[in-house]
Amino acid sequence: MTQLVLQSVVSGLLVGGMYGLVALGLALAFGVLKVLNVAHGELLMVGGYAAFFAFTVWGLDPFVSLPLVFIVMFGFGTVLYLIVFRYVTRTEIHTRIKNSLLISFGLVLVLQALAVRFFTADERTISTAYSSEAITIGLVRVPVVRLAGLIVAVVAAVLLEWLLNRTRFGRAVRATSEDWTRAALTGIDVNRVYLIAFALSAALAGVAGSLISLGYSVSPNIGLGWTLKALIVVVLAGLGSMRGIIVAGLFLGLTESLAAVWLGGEYREVAALVLFLVVLSFRPQGLFGRAYA
Amino acid sequence: MRSRTQAVLWLAGLAGVVAIGVVSGTQHVLTLSIQTMTLAALALSWNILGGYAGQISLGHAAFFGLGALITRELWLGGSSLVLAVAAAVAVTAAVAAIVGIPMLRFRDIYFAIGTLALGVAVFITSGNLWPGITSLPADDLRDYDFTSRFFMTLGVLLVAILVSVWLKHSKLGLGMTAVRDDEEAAEATGVNAFAHKMIAFVISASLAALAGSAFAYFSASYFPNFAFSVVWTFEAILVVFIGGVGTIVGPILGSIFFVVGRDALPSGIDEFQVALFGVLFIVVVLLFPGGLTEGAQKLLGGAPNRSQSPADKPTTRGGKELV
Amino acid sequence: MLRVDGLEVAYGDLQVVWGVSFEVPEESIVTILGPNGAGKTTTLLALMGLLPVVAGSVTFDGSSLIDVPTHQIVEHGLVMIPEERATFSAMSVEENLELGAYTPRARQSREETLAEVLELFPRLGERMRQRAGTLSGGERQMLAIGKALMAKPLLLILDEPSLGLAPIIVEHTFEAIEQIRGRGVSVLMVEQHVEMALQIADHAYVLEMGSIVAEGSSSEMSDNPRVQEAYLSL
Repeated sequence: MTQLVLQSVVSGLLVGGMYGLVALGLALAFGVLKVLNVAHGELLMVGGYAAFFAFTVWGLDPFVSLPLVFIVMFGFGTVLYLIVFRYVTRTEIHTRIKNSLLISFGLVLVLQALAVRFFTADERTISTAYSSEAITIGLVRVPVVRLAGLIVAVVAAVLLEWLLNRTRFGRAVRATSEDWTRAALTGIDVNRVYLIAFALSAALAGVAGSLISLGYSVSPNIGLGWTLKALIVVVLAGLGSMRGIIVAGLFLGLTESLAAVWLGGEYREVAALVLFLVVLSFRPQGLFGRAYA
Repeated sequence: MRSRTQAVLWLAGLAGVVAIGVVSGTQHVLTLSIQTMTLAALALSWNILGGYAGQISLGHAAFFGLGALITRELWLGGSSLVLAVAAAVAVTAAVAAIVGIPMLRFRDIYFAIGTLALGVAVFITSGNLWPGITSLPADDLRDYDFTSRFFMTLGVLLVAILVSVWLKHSKLGLGMTAVRDDEEAAEATGVNAFAHKMIAFVISASLAALAGSAFAYFSASYFPNFAFSVVWTFEAILVVFIGGVGTIVGPILGSIFFVVGRDALPSGIDEFQVALFGVLFIVVVLLFPGGLTEGAQKLLGGAPNRSQSPADKPTTRGGKELV
Repeated sequence: MLRVDGLEVAYGDLQVVWGVSFEVPEESIVTILGPNGAGKTTTLLALMGLLPVVAGSVTFDGSSLIDVPTHQIVEHGLVMIPEERATFSAMSVEENLELGAYTPRARQSREETLAEVLELFPRLGERMRQRAGTLSGGERQMLAIGKALMAKPLLLILDEPSLGLAPIIVEHTFEAIEQIRGRGVSVLMVEQHVEMALQIADHAYVLEMGSIVAEGSSSEMSDNPRVQEAYLSL
């Protein structure tokens, strides 16, 4: 029994790291552009397929293709911003959220359909030589590919933190997040900030997708599930707070795993919901958010 | 639009719909009509919560699915349809009241995400708890009667329309729109925001359950968790916004547009066409933020007579009114 | 320096500004007076490219500002301090000031400008690490002005600088504005505190219901019976 619990804890933390990574991208798009991109999970899926493609057709190890996926998805995000989301950012905040919700739903439709067309509805997993290897610590078995995913997630979070807090551009991003009008009046090119933030969010989603197709699996309909988890993590961490997203992700993953152990696997998803309701009831600003006036 | 013209149009529409049911023979047309009316009813139910009360729920399928589940179980288990539907609506209303207590304390994006989480959690859990397919027994399949389904669904839609109309012109509805436009200001004038949101929530959920029972009555066989699928929420919201949020005609127009349009796509197996549909949809949202009703009203001339939607708020910057 | 001719601004179908014309000569202080809802803020936002201009022209230093993106307008030297103070509450005083010098032109002389700003507002120097959101009203005002100065403006626009501030702080603010003009920066000010505004302004316009109804030098305006009645409670 202890073995089961410990193993669950580890699995929960590992998947939680992925939740956090996916949430980073979503938080960026939502925090900066105030746009709710429910197709974020689909971008993850596209990244996953890109890595899968690079592996099966060119034999590229997913960790080698990671920077490539990042760049490709950054480009994809740029295109999406320019042809779709740019127009959404022209409206004020309330309309933005509504419109972006609708539009990204449309995008979900498009991307899912295209994925089915090009990759069929089958689940795909990247199986490398080391895919089934695991590190055994005591009673617990830690799959190497998933551990690597967690490490990448943490590294990404650290890099993002550095970008936002220690660079001039990062300061411009934070200013735009706080109030885009004030930022424009400060001489910041808000459209460029939006573009880069969105492209970066797509790139992060792609990277997550890559790791997920290695450590778990990818199929055309996984998008919404991951988007939802990411949304919950973002809200748990505190809207507008980039820090603590990985931690919130780990927290969610852990809670789900333990819920599955104690209540049975069928109620795993309910755990996320309950956690969400409970945390927000007691701490509306999220775990790490500041209680803004 | 003048109310007399409106009333005439409504009656004409109703007559046309009844005519389809009575006169038309083809199963195809009847099926499309039933699907349209079901979606329209669901959309109208969402509209009450989202359009009138301004609470964007992304988990509405939970109530649709619950209504479908209870109706199906009871009806196939031997109860009369009326009883099954009544039970479904009552239970869903109760569940909504309970769920609403914590959920409605959240606002805007938190509420949206919370309801989304609810919807997906219920979807996945229902799939785990009721994995088997539910099918009409062979006899019923053989004697399947389209006409009764048609009129049952029509009845459901009429109920949804009547409730929407009544609400729109009632003091309750006024309170809801006040809460939608500015919750603090509404509270300051004595409107109990929570109560209004809760009532909207429960009515909305009940109508969704009613639509769900129409689905359960109509469908020959399906996996129970399909009725909980987020696709239903998506389609309902889509249709409301295409048609014009906050209006009554909007969701109906949008449903017709959507169901007929989707059917017109040659045998929807080809994903490129689905993708194209998605692209068209994105274009429509970008070009017509007010939906089809606004477009049609502008064509027919005259000021839009819909209750204001959040999109009509005077431009603010960072929440501050500009002088 | 700044020349506005026949400016018309609308929010969708609602027109708010009807053919407004005014100018701000070099090294002068010009004030726009008027009641709430007159369209003063709307006019300023249109100047800065944040609202679409329906008709009319806006010329700054010879070049047109119509359809120029806001950040470029700032780069040209037209800097606005909006009513809600232009500071970022989540960032420190230092970060706000650094951010003020965001445009390439401002960045060049950032160190110098910072020194000047801290000379003008020594209090800011004592609070460099403090989060802007925790500053007092007067300090926020100073930071807003300081940050705007970091952008090396040729013309500084202020939207209701006296709003919500204690009289003594308002006095300091207006003193600072005069000093700013002394350093060669022109000032355009929208103000409700008519007396103080007319004290330091060279020229004044009165905006009511989206149109200019009166204009003149500040002494002319002080003597104008209409202005006196409506705004000076005499």
